[in-house]
Formats: sequence, C-alpha cells, structure tokens
Amino acid sequence: MKEIIKITFALTISCMIAASAMGLTYTVTAKAKKHNHHMNVYNAMVGLLGFGEDNPAPSDLKFLSVYRYIVEDGDKKFLGYMVPVEKGSEEAYEMVLMDLEGNFVEKLEVPIAAEKAEEDLDRAKALQEVLAPPKTFAYADSSVVATSGGKRLGYVMPGKFPGFRTFIHALVAMDPKFELLGLEVMEHEEDAGLGKNIEEEYFKNQFKGKTYEKLQTLKVVKKPLPVEYKKYLEKSKWEEGMFTEEDIAEIRKQYKDADIYAITASTISSKAVTDGVKILAKKFAYRIGKLDSVLKKEEIHAAF
Amino acid sequence: MAIKEKTNRQLFIDGILSENPIFKLALSMCPAVGISTSVMNGILLGTAVLFVQVCSSCTIALVRNYIHPKIRIPTYTLTIATWVTVIDLVLAAYVPVAYKAMGLFVRLIVAFAIITMRLEMFASREPVGKSFWDGMGMGLGFMFAMMVLGFVRELLGQGKLLGFDILGFGPLLYFVLPCAGFVVVGLMMGFFNWIEVVYNRRKEA
Repeated sequence: MKEIIKITFALTISCMIAASAMGLTYTVTAKAKKHNHHMNVYNAMVGLLGFGEDNPAPSDLKFLSVYRYIVEDGDKKFLGYMVPVEKGSEEAYEMVLMDLEGNFVEKLEVPIAAEKAEEDLDRAKALQEVLAPPKTFAYADSSVVATSGGKRLGYVMPGKFPGFRTFIHALVAMDPKFELLGLEVMEHEEDAGLGKNIEEEYFKNQFKGKTYEKLQTLKVVKKPLPVEYKKYLEKSKWEEGMFTEEDIAEIRKQYKDADIYAITASTISSKAVTDGVKILAKKFAYRIGKLDSVLKKEEIHAAF
Repeated sequence: MAIKEKTNRQLFIDGILSENPIFKLALSMCPAVGISTSVMNGILLGTAVLFVQVCSSCTIALVRNYIHPKIRIPTYTLTIATWVTVIDLVLAAYVPVAYKAMGLFVRLIVAFAIITMRLEMFASREPVGKSFWDGMGMGLGFMFAMMVLGFVRELLGQGKLLGFDILGFGPLLYFVLPCAGFVVVGLMMGFFNWIEVVYNRRKEA
C-alpha cells in the first residue's frame, strides 16, 4: 500500500513537472508559431495569384475570407455564409442564411471586429449571440477572395483531401472565371521519393491554366511526362533564354487541355490530388455562384 | 571493457562505430527502414535524434538518484515527450525554415527505441558528463547510419544525392520503396559486421 502511494506521488510529480515545462514553452512560443503559420499561408496565396519578386503584389491587395457554416433550426437545415461587408469605411461581417436550394432566408449582423474574425473561437462566440439556441451552427469551411482596387483577382480555397498516407492539405487558386491559377501543397505525409513529388513543380504546375470546362473531365494519365513540358513546368530552374515568348505560347497551347501526367510509381497520390482539386474547385464554383446571386438580389454589399 | 573505465572519447567513438545503434545494437529499425530514402532525410532525422538524445540523457543523468525504480520507464517516456514537444514548439516559432523540413521527424522521435534504451542502459547510471558524450555518440552514430542508408537508397533509387541529379536517371525505383529498406539495412549490417571481423582478425594476427 505504502509503495503504491509512493509511486502515485512520484508519477504525479513527474507529470506535473513535464506538463509545466511544455505549457511554459507553449505560452512563450504560441504567438510566434501562429504568426509563422499565418505568414506561410499568406505568402503561398500571394504566390498562387502569380505575384513574386519580379511581379510585386499591388499594395491594396486584400484577402477577404468567407466562412461557411451549417445552421440547424429544429429539423430545418440552412447554409450560413459569414461574409465581410462594407459598412461605411469600416469592415463588418454579416451572416447570410439560405436554404439548401440556395434561396435567401435572412441576414444577420455579426458583432465581431475584423481582426478577430480569423479566430475560430472568437467567431463562434460572436455567432452565438445572433444564432442563439435552439438554433445550432457548425463550422464547415472557409474560402478566400482576393481583391485589389475593388476588383476580384481570384479565389483561394484551402482544402484537405485523403492522400496515400493521411490527409493532404492544399491551397487551390482560381481566377474569377474559375480557371485554375495553381495549386500549393501545404502539408502532407506522402512517401519520400514517391508521393512526396506532389510538391514538385513539375506536378503541381500542371494544374495551372486548366479551364473550368476541362476540370470536369480532368483525369490522371499514366504516361511519361514529355521532357520539354517538364522543363517548362519547372519554372524555378529556368535559365536565361531557355524559352522564348513563342515557345511558351506554343507549349501552353499544346498542353492546355492535357490531362495530368501521373508521378512515376505514385499514381494513387497523383490521383488523390487531382480528384481533391477537382472536387474542391467544383464545389466552390457552385457555392460562390449561389452566394453571388443571393448577394445581388438582396443588395448586400459584400466587400469583394 | 566496462563502462566505468571508458573515457569520454571512447564513449563517443563507440556510439558511432562499435556500438552503432542501427548496425550493431539493431535499435530503432522502424525509422531506418521507413525514412532512409534519401541522404537529406537521414541528416534531418539524425539531427533531431541527436538533440533529443543529448537533452534527455542529460536530464535523466541529473535526476537519476530521484527516480523511483518502478516507474523509471514512464519517467523516461515523459522526459523524451517533453523534450520533443519543447524542440518542436521552439523550431516552429523561431526557425520556421528548419521546422518545415524537420517538423514531421521531430514528432516521430517520441516512440524511438534507441533513446529509451540509452536512458535505461546508460544515463540512469552514469554522471551527466559521460551521459552527454554517450548521447552525442549515439545521436551521431544514428545520423551516420541513416546517411549511409540514405546514400545507397537515394543513389540507386532516384539517381540523386542530396537532391542533386548525379546519374540523371533512377536505375532501380525498387530502392525507394519501403521493402527495399529491409534489404539495404540487412546488407549494410552484414557489411559493417564483416569489416569488424576482418579488423579484429588483423589486429590479432
């Protein structure tokens, strides 16, 4: 008995020491970690829109997030979009509720400051006030609208889809006409040397420039990637004078409607990414269409 | 030679050569098979293990007289988990570039046999100084072994070294696949043991 108490005591003490060490580190590093993650996503989004060192982003480039919620009221289900709106010079948020067919139900003002809206917890707190029980709501996903000078530059959709090992987290960007601007793989655990190649330029850049129509039928082909096309896709390895303007236009035209060339020995990973991008893009295009028509009909002045 | 008589330098060198964790002690075979697909992976995982091993060894050596013998294994696990978490968080916050490459590897280490084993066999009995050098030796030995495996598998599997194209083509994709890990580890283990046998025979002769 005495032994048991001794062991319990010793274990409790060691756990407490370990926990306080971890907790302390967390408090010290949390802010910087979050900032890094934020910057990572931001830089990836800027890159996807085609801005870089030789093509700096405009100073009024803004990323506006639209948060999608599933709202339930008794046995009725609604879709709720938390949309940034223009209210004088300030940025405010409104919750637009619509039924599953996309018909407008009601709009609610969400009392939340713009800089706080990014936090899941703060958002939930603010929504609790306008969507009081018996209404319940659950966060579904978010997408980003990039604007500059009051015009839409494109959409960026963060998404995750099952890969060969675990989920692949990625950003997919589309221009206002739903043509793919690109794909950025943020996090994945695919095998090194095989599925890991989904983050290589020669794979992910294949999605660039695919039209919305092509996307419907896009598939993965198990054919070797043509050498010239591979060189073109690996933009960071381009040397001066490797491609003339005409060459680029020619290659673009030739492979515009090409399917995705699978990574050697990683067809499953290639397929997973291709399907993920397709589903993500299709769903988003459908949703933003519905949302836009509601916003227009109800004269809600969204900030994008 | 008993541990007590070994100098720090011997401890350090033994960890890399005659007591190499992968080729000699056959510890931590999971990462050796799973992650050794390239030299870079070996370096990254090796660095991560080195840090965690040295930190945990020193911690356990410091408190070795206060650990209740019946709960020493949970205590080791706690120590390793704490150090892994701390290193993971610090990397994520202050060295985002390294975190991007190493983040995944650092989190894997909690379950590595080699670290628990060294804490049990060595750090819980020896003073801090010796434990530090033992940790260094083991960590570097692990890194060395992972790099050798990565060298073989990357060169033969992808025709590359450290990501640079060496051969211009991948001779045998088989070497990248997980099953080849077993084969390469086995062959390397045999090779290193053979060298030792030959070396000892020469010394005797």
